[in-house]
Order: sequence, then C-alpha cells, then structure tokens
Amino acid sequence: MSRCKMFELFYALVPLKPWRGLLIRRHIEECPRCLAGLASREAAGSLLVQEREANIGRPLWTEVESALVEDSGGEMMKDRALQSSVMRRWGWAVATAFLVVLITGFLLLKDFRPEGTASAAAAPARFELEYVRVGGQPANAVVYQPQGSDMIIVWAGTNN
Amino acid sequence: MDEQELIAGCLRGRMEDFRMIVEHYTGPAMALAINVLGNRDDAEDACQELFIQVYRNLGSYDPRRSFKNWVYTILYRRCLDHLRRRRRSAELVKKMGRETILAMPANPGHSHPRRSLPSDLLERLKAKERTALCLWANEGYTAQEISEVLRCSASTARVYLFQARKKIKTLLEQGHVSLQNV
Repeated sequence: MSRCKMFELFYALVPLKPWRGLLIRRHIEECPRCLAGLASREAAGSLLVQEREANIGRPLWTEVESALVEDSGGEMMKDRALQSSVMRRWGWAVATAFLVVLITGFLLLKDFRPEGTASAAAAPARFELEYVRVGGQPANAVVYQPQGSDMIIVWAGTNN
Repeated sequence: MDEQELIAGCLRGRMEDFRMIVEHYTGPAMALAINVLGNRDDAEDACQELFIQVYRNLGSYDPRRSFKNWVYTILYRRCLDHLRRRRRSAELVKKMGRETILAMPANPGHSHPRRSLPSDLLERLKAKERTALCLWANEGYTAQEISEVLRCSASTARVYLFQARKKIKTLLEQGHVSLQNV
C-alpha cells in the first residue's frame, strides 16, 4: 500500500478535524500526487463569483447611510427616554430617602428627649420677667424648675 | 488615506470616511456573500447588514487584528443567519404543503441576468466550505487566515478547504453541466 493510500485510510478512519488537519498539513499539502486530486486555485476561482463580477445592483451606501441615520435617531430617542426614566427614578429615590430621614429624625427626637425638657423649655414662655425690683432697686432674677416637678422657683436678689 | 485613519475618522463620526470604507469593501464583500449564499439579492441584504453592523461595532474592533478579516467574520456570520432564515422558511413552507413556492437558490443564475454561483457548487459544498474556498481562491488566504474569519482552528479550516477542493475536483471531472455552463 502506498504512503498516499495509507494517509487516505487514516483520514477516512478518524473523523476528527484536528487529526484530519494534521494529516493534510503533514502529507496532502506537500504530496504532488494528493494535490493532483484537489482543485487548483485557478479552477476553483473560475467557478466562483469574482469581485469584478459582483457589481451591486442598488445604491448600497445610500441604504446603509439612511439606515444608520434612522438608527442613530432612534438610539437618541431611546437614550433620552432612558435618561428621563433614570432621572425620574433617582428623583423619587432621593425624595423618599429625604422623607424617611425626616420622619426618623422626628421620631428619634421625640422619643429620646429628656424628661422635663419640655416644661423647662416652656418655662421662659410662662415667665416673662422684663425686670425685677427688690426694695425699689433693680435686681437679678433666676428662674429654677427642679427636674420632674411642676414647681418653679424664682429667686431674685440685688447686686449689693 | 490609510485604513486605520479612516477607522479613526469613523469613530469620530465622520460619515465620509465610512463611505470610503463601504465603497472599498463592497466588491469583495459582495463576491464572498454571493459565493456563500448563492443568491445576489440575499448577498446584497447581507452586505447592507454587514456595513451597518461594522459601523455600530467599530468601537470594539481591535486594531491589532486585520480589519479585512474582521469585516469578513461579520459578513460570514450574517450569511449564516441568512442561510438559517432561509432553511427555517423552507421548512415552514414545506410544513404548509406548498413546496412549489420554494424556489430559493434552486436556480440562482436564472433569477438574475448577472453571473451567480453554480447550483452544483451550492448544493454539494457546505457554507463553511464555500467560505473557505472563496477566501482561498479569491483572496489568496492561508488556512490560518481562513480560521480567523471562520473563528475555528487552523486545522479545521484546512479540513474545510481540503473537502471543498476535493468536491470541486470531482464535480469538474464528472463534467457537471451546471458547472460548465456558467
């Protein structure tokens, strides 16, 4: 059996492309006898359509250009719609976050305010001491409310 | 102008540069598409889709690779899509029991006055084999370059090319009428 026949047999027996590729590279591409069994470049080229024969029957560039212009217009509209939708979503997210922070802050302040603060804070509102006089003389006044008590003590004294 | 400069111009939005690329590649792309699809109308559609896709994806093109190979890879994929669509519609027509409508590439030469692919070549060779053969015969590509377009190994490309050349040789030896009359 000739070397070529052996390669043909190996080629037929193992239908794996890497194996077949190896056989072609190692033997067929270099063997004049095997190459004679294959169509030449010229023969193949004569059957195929060549570049010079492939003249196009319609204005391809015009069609491509108009498709691209349409496409870019569509893309732009899509981009804008997407942007506005994203902006709207972000707007809602920021507004919700702000509201949550506001409510949480309010609740925290309300719950953790020390007892008596309200009465103490309200005390100056109840006592509007524009001036205090002791013995006809202007005096200093101190307003004092003990913690947890409704009692308010006003202590006044002169500088002398 | 240099091809890389044209590509850079396209990326900056210069349509004139892209027009030059389209005009430069229309001929070779059409030839490849006709040879793969066997039909001029489909080939024109595939080429149109090709250039739209090229423009859209130009940003992802790797300048270290051959631009021509990149273009051919996209075109090859578009052609495969067309063949898939054609097969699906053929199956649909068959299911509907209207085989007579199916006149897809059965006689491509007759539907158009210009030269088309011989029907025997279309029937006997697979799309991958036709692509490999066309790149080898028309463009002088090596197995390595064909593998870049087909996105397969060089060994696989070598097998496709070998099978295509073998089948053509057989067809020529048998003296097929449809091959001789083109």
